[in-house]
Amino acid sequence: MSAAAIPVEHIKTITMSIYRYDPTVDKKPYMQDIVVEIPTDKDIMVLDALHLAKNQEPSLSYRRSCREGVCGSDGMNINGKNGLACVTPLSEVLKRGKITLRPMPGLPVVRDLIVDMKQFFDQLEKVKPYLITKSDSPDMERKQTPEEREELDGLYECILCGCCSTSCPSFWWNPDKFLGPAALLQSWRFIADSRDEATEERLDDLEDAFSLYRCHGIMNCVSVCPKGLNPTEAISNIRNKLLTREKA
Amino acid sequence: MIEKDNRPVNLNLLTISLPIIGLSSILHRISGLAIFFSFPLVVWLFSVSLKSEESFVVLTNLLQSSFLLKTMTYLILVGFSYHLLAGFKKLLSDAFGIGETLESGRLLSWLVFGATFVMAIYFLTVVF
Repeated sequence: MSAAAIPVEHIKTITMSIYRYDPTVDKKPYMQDIVVEIPTDKDIMVLDALHLAKNQEPSLSYRRSCREGVCGSDGMNINGKNGLACVTPLSEVLKRGKITLRPMPGLPVVRDLIVDMKQFFDQLEKVKPYLITKSDSPDMERKQTPEEREELDGLYECILCGCCSTSCPSFWWNPDKFLGPAALLQSWRFIADSRDEATEERLDDLEDAFSLYRCHGIMNCVSVCPKGLNPTEAISNIRNKLLTREKA
Repeated sequence: MIEKDNRPVNLNLLTISLPIIGLSSILHRISGLAIFFSFPLVVWLFSVSLKSEESFVVLTNLLQSSFLLKTMTYLILVGFSYHLLAGFKKLLSDAFGIGETLESGRLLSWLVFGATFVMAIYFLTVVF
């Protein structure tokens, strides 16, 4: 999108205050104000505005891919709240002509708005986010009733953008021990799956003081999820399952 | 590979917004901690009040004359009320799964704040 193509009467300027850090040059991160011209005759997304800022500051770095809320690359902290830049309308977050963008909290910053998601994916790996079966494979496929399939609604949609886990204070303080909302949502997604045959092992793995029980119901995860999912509810379901199961 | 991770982390809490449900949860912890530390004082006041009839009268007079003691009593009462109400909210969610959606969680948080406010006003009339 080129600003030059827009008639002058449909242009206004906004200030984007952006977290900058280049490890090869900067000792510390700093905030840089970039003034960009945006169209007034239509709404654009925060990601579009970032592109406009990058036209001026080519060194500005951020992740993006699908630009429509499917890939989960452009999670960032927009005016203090985590979200996907590509599906956040600028009009919703612009305050007195200004917007502040920072990297997602709690994870090491690689550069500008890019964080190292290793801790996040390490925790996901621990919950074994794939179907585990022990019985012989049926000839055709492992079937589910429509009702059993419905159990996975609100769970399978997660795109692993990291907005929830990086907004969770419990995850900030214990990113290596507390699994975090995203990983726990996935954990419940497979515990709830009628085809999965490793429920007991999955629950065993969660039964310590940190993995699951560090969730204190702060619900920042639910507040920020760009897909409208509810990790708090998933965690609560796992907790109930842990409390009511009969131990062998 | 660098051994020590020198990379910055964006974790300036003043720049990160805290939704109402999160605020009520954090205040639950803070009020709990405050009550814990005020516990010796409360126990001491209680033991003095039970010692004898005279000490009870002395204590009552002290509570009615000392602004500092009044303020402390007031803060303990408000903190305890908040902690109790927020605890009920937590129990509702733990036991019945109530308040685990964004809407119900927000509503319950507001209710806890509202009820605490009403009680705070009431204690204001009682203590001072």
